[in-house]
Amino acid sequence: MKVQTTRFGALEVDEGSTVNMASGPLGFEQLTRFCLIQHRSDTSFRWLQSMEDPSLAFVVVDPTEFFDDYEIEISDAYAEMLRLQSEEDALLFVVLTVGDHGKHITANLAAPIVLNSKNRIGMQVIIEDDRYAVRHELATPGAKRSRATTITNAA
Amino acid sequence: MLVLARKVGQSIVISENIELLVIEVRGDQVRLGIEAPRSIPVHRKELLEQIRSENVKAVAASDVDVVTEALKKEPDG
Repeated sequence: MKVQTTRFGALEVDEGSTVNMASGPLGFEQLTRFCLIQHRSDTSFRWLQSMEDPSLAFVVVDPTEFFDDYEIEISDAYAEMLRLQSEEDALLFVVLTVGDHGKHITANLAAPIVLNSKNRIGMQVIIEDDRYAVRHELATPGAKRSRATTITNAA
Repeated sequence: MLVLARKVGQSIVISENIELLVIEVRGDQVRLGIEAPRSIPVHRKELLEQIRSENVKAVAASDVDVVTEALKKEPDG
């Protein structure tokens, strides 16, 4: 299907890359139809592009690209909205904020986008875990992967 | 907004199946227990607001060339 985008022009998108959100990302709750776009093959991030608003797109990345220890618990409420039957069906993406002309990148570890790979239902899942920040500083790609937790537990 | 005063140990029931219990009051902090159906998400309000605000920032910051350059797999030089 054809999707209009302000950043990439008109794109041809197949069903396999759609994300149908149970409710849209916070602040954009009414927008629920998205698709995942890999704009360039030499990058590990993707764009979560709205299929309803051509100007709305988020930069998302697989957290395992940057973090060794990012483990989240998806509460029952969210698992139900995602109709998630097995943890293995859950694909995680974290939203990146790229600021200061690309010099400052943070990842939202407190609210990952979880996609049920079996039914393509997605949701921005809020994680109530003090260890994970809404703005977690990102190490540069290619650098050693960093810890996802901002607060280490005292022994 | 409905305003109710509760003492420690007292509860508020919302819509039959949601209960808020005042567990402890210590200084300016109140410890609340929440019983709700598993299907209902419960969150601290300021966290939701932070996430909402960050989502908006994340979209505004997404210029394709800037992002692609900033997130190149191999660092330059």
